[in-house]
Amino acid sequence: MSAASIAPLVAMGLAAVAAMLLAPSAHAAAARAVAALGLAVATGFVVLRFGAPERLATELLADDPLARFGIALTGLSALAALAITRIGASAREVPALIAIAALGGALVCGARHSGALFLGLEVMGLSLVALFAFPLTQRALEAAYKYFILGAAGAAALLFGVAILYAAAGGLAFTDWRSSADGLFALGAALLLAGLAFKFALAPFHMWGPDVFEGASPSAVVIAGVTAKVAVAVALVRLAQETGGASLQAGLAGLGAASILVGNLFALRQTSLARMLGYSSIAHSGYVAAILGAGGTEAGAAALFYVASYAPALTAALIILTLEGGDVRLENVRGLFRRRPLEGAAFALGVISLAGLPPAVGFIGKLYLFSALIEAEAWRLLAVAAVGSGLGVYYYARFFGAPFLPCKEAPSTPQAAPRRHAGLAITCLFLVAVLGVYPMPLLEAAVFATR
Amino acid sequence: MGLIALFMLPFLGGIAAMAVEGRRPGAERWAAIATMIGVLIVLAAMWAGGVDESGQWIARHQSDWAPAVGVSLTFALDGLSAALVALSAGLGIVAVVASWSGERRWSGLFHLCICWTVAATNGVFVAFDLLIFAFFWEAMLVPSFLLIAIWGYEDREAAAIKFLIFNAVGGLGLLAAVFALAAMADTVTFNAFELAEMEIGPRAEVWLLLGFALAFLVKLPTPPFHAWLPDAHTEAPTAGSILLAGLLLKAGAYGLFRFPPMLFPDATVALSGWGMALGAFGTIYAGLLACEQNDAKRLIAYTSIAHMSIVLMGVSGGVYFALLGAGVEMIAHAFSASALFFLMGSLQHRTGTRDLRALGGLQRRAPRFAAAFSIFFAAALAMPGTANFLGEALVITGMFQVNWIFAAIALISLVISVVYATRLLKGIMFGEPKSTAEIDDLNWRETIAIFTLGFGTLIFGLLPQILAGAIGPAVDAALAPFGK
Repeated sequence: MSAASIAPLVAMGLAAVAAMLLAPSAHAAAARAVAALGLAVATGFVVLRFGAPERLATELLADDPLARFGIALTGLSALAALAITRIGASAREVPALIAIAALGGALVCGARHSGALFLGLEVMGLSLVALFAFPLTQRALEAAYKYFILGAAGAAALLFGVAILYAAAGGLAFTDWRSSADGLFALGAALLLAGLAFKFALAPFHMWGPDVFEGASPSAVVIAGVTAKVAVAVALVRLAQETGGASLQAGLAGLGAASILVGNLFALRQTSLARMLGYSSIAHSGYVAAILGAGGTEAGAAALFYVASYAPALTAALIILTLEGGDVRLENVRGLFRRRPLEGAAFALGVISLAGLPPAVGFIGKLYLFSALIEAEAWRLLAVAAVGSGLGVYYYARFFGAPFLPCKEAPSTPQAAPRRHAGLAITCLFLVAVLGVYPMPLLEAAVFATR
Repeated sequence: MGLIALFMLPFLGGIAAMAVEGRRPGAERWAAIATMIGVLIVLAAMWAGGVDESGQWIARHQSDWAPAVGVSLTFALDGLSAALVALSAGLGIVAVVASWSGERRWSGLFHLCICWTVAATNGVFVAFDLLIFAFFWEAMLVPSFLLIAIWGYEDREAAAIKFLIFNAVGGLGLLAAVFALAAMADTVTFNAFELAEMEIGPRAEVWLLLGFALAFLVKLPTPPFHAWLPDAHTEAPTAGSILLAGLLLKAGAYGLFRFPPMLFPDATVALSGWGMALGAFGTIYAGLLACEQNDAKRLIAYTSIAHMSIVLMGVSGGVYFALLGAGVEMIAHAFSASALFFLMGSLQHRTGTRDLRALGGLQRRAPRFAAAFSIFFAAALAMPGTANFLGEALVITGMFQVNWIFAAIALISLVISVVYATRLLKGIMFGEPKSTAEIDDLNWRETIAIFTLGFGTLIFGLLPQILAGAIGPAVDAALAPFGK
């Protein structure tokens, strides 16, 4: 155990504590600044140490490029969530909660033992429940309640699965769970997968997704849709690496195919931006699960690249939700480019990226997805992914075309947006466009992280 | 570097057009036009250098981009590519000129979309790294989607989405085939020249070719993959119709011309009969549908499908005359179809309708307009003297060498083309005017643009050796698998 290995976790934890202590005082913005500082330090630290040799942070936590890749993404997405947080009198605790969620995510990214995995998932999940509740509207409470109940069921399934795996394999570390043909082992793996599928919003465990996207505040959605997803994807990659993968593959492939179809089909007719993004996030989880389910040598890198490319695209699309208030429908998106050129462009490019069209990074992600499926010779999954991305083009096109169309009613004069939003929009726009044309840095990082 | 400039210039030009919008009236138009002229100059400079020792390539470029995943910047230009790049830059100018008049929302963005469509098609015409080819292939979609969706006519949004879905799904076939092909190589590479050397095996070749063909046939389009085109052409603004008919369709034909014989020679020979049959079916089917249309733009759209189906017949023919004819027909159709869309757009702008039953008497009301129209009617029905005649005659000659039934069908399609062209002619030009409103004749800008297109149609019809010389090496390369 070395100090450098757990430093990012310590920085995130200290940030959470400091932000919590500052929350009751009058300076709500100070809490956000402290949380942001802690997250930025943690992120910068892991990015600088990305190439450092592999070691164990503790018996339960790995400190390797895979963990660092995940922690960096977790930290960045939590910073994005902080940037679009509205701090009113009623929500001073939000920065602290975001820092706690990021800490949980970072734990999950490093976890190589079921103890750390469960701890991280619960830290993340419970702070998410509070985050979802925070606008304290009827809808937000409903979303939080739904996530809490379903999440508890998921956690129970995960624990039960871990217990059965312990009985079957005699250990709690991932490396103890080398695949075996044992029926008990298979049952344990299936329950473990079900627990992770809750957090990852894979069909048929996806019910909370669209409700949360619609009801919760956008910053909470960034945490649920990006931070949590990155963390679980990293955990799945690590499980596949350390257990040899075979025990989870069939399940992941099935859940992935189901999610691609369910997510895309339900998204087709949505006119609410939040619900559309909610269902599309199920589909995108499905693509990642399909990559990992197909196996193959490229699978880990492709999955990491895919979630990393999804992160800035979804964030760019979510900025609009904070600016235009909760219930944004297709017709409210019209004319966005005229009202807010910068955020409108970021939104359009973000949705183009979700659709997997060039010149956005999502296109490269889609390419990598296809190449991984072809390399693994998973023809049926490839067909499902092709159908899914064909369907996706339809509903994404309605949304990324809309900012450029004229408004049907007279537009209200837009409220001035804080500069943080513009900064985040520029960052997302830059990442989506530049990585869409020159993806090599991210591609190399993803390959390095899974070697 | 010149090769990269061919698509980087319009890409940057689009950004420039956006940046200078509003500085002074019309600045964005001139920015777009200047870019296209820049492309033509770069192209002319390269073309003047002649071909290299291989006898085919005017310029080649290769450098690393992402060696870890086998992607390289491999670009090459031969006579066929050069002709198509010249066409796309020229039609880019025509598209800007065609949308000169009238106030337009977001004029900067409009010109950016025009420039980026040209940039992406130029990329398609010169890319020989298949991943980069696929990138440009998909990159054509978004700017043209926006052109239709934002500045189109009444039903534009549905048409734009239909366009996008058909082409994006077709593109998936290309993507899947490209990856499968690259994965078969010993060291992963997307370089088409290296992949062409590889032994693939007959069954895999057929499947991969079908993947490529899905993308190309949707873009071409040939029935039964054509359903997006009539809507997209009809609802698109004039500039959009010009770029669709002149560039995007040609990208499909170019793909068929170039890649199947190069990468999958055995499958190309094996499937050539199916290609000709599909083309034969398409040209008759679309021709008959064209005869039934009252909406003039829809009619022209169906004639595009009929003509591109002739191109498909020629490309799959596997004999010299058929392939040469297909190449000539591609260029000729780009001139004639974009000119017809241009004229129809101007007419609709002036009369407010494109219904053949509500138009008429144009030759008395706007003689210059009528003269321009008649050149392109002649081209549409493949009158001798136009490049379209040359193209179709060559394809039919080639078909006689392969199979007289296909030749007969191509001849019947010529008869059908006379029916729809005269119907268009009669509806617009002759008879009593249905309204007494004044129609402005073509202004000088439109006159220059349209007569440039007309000049192209006639010059390549009368002096075909210019075009035949340019695309000859590409035709020979496409004939290689047929062993002739």
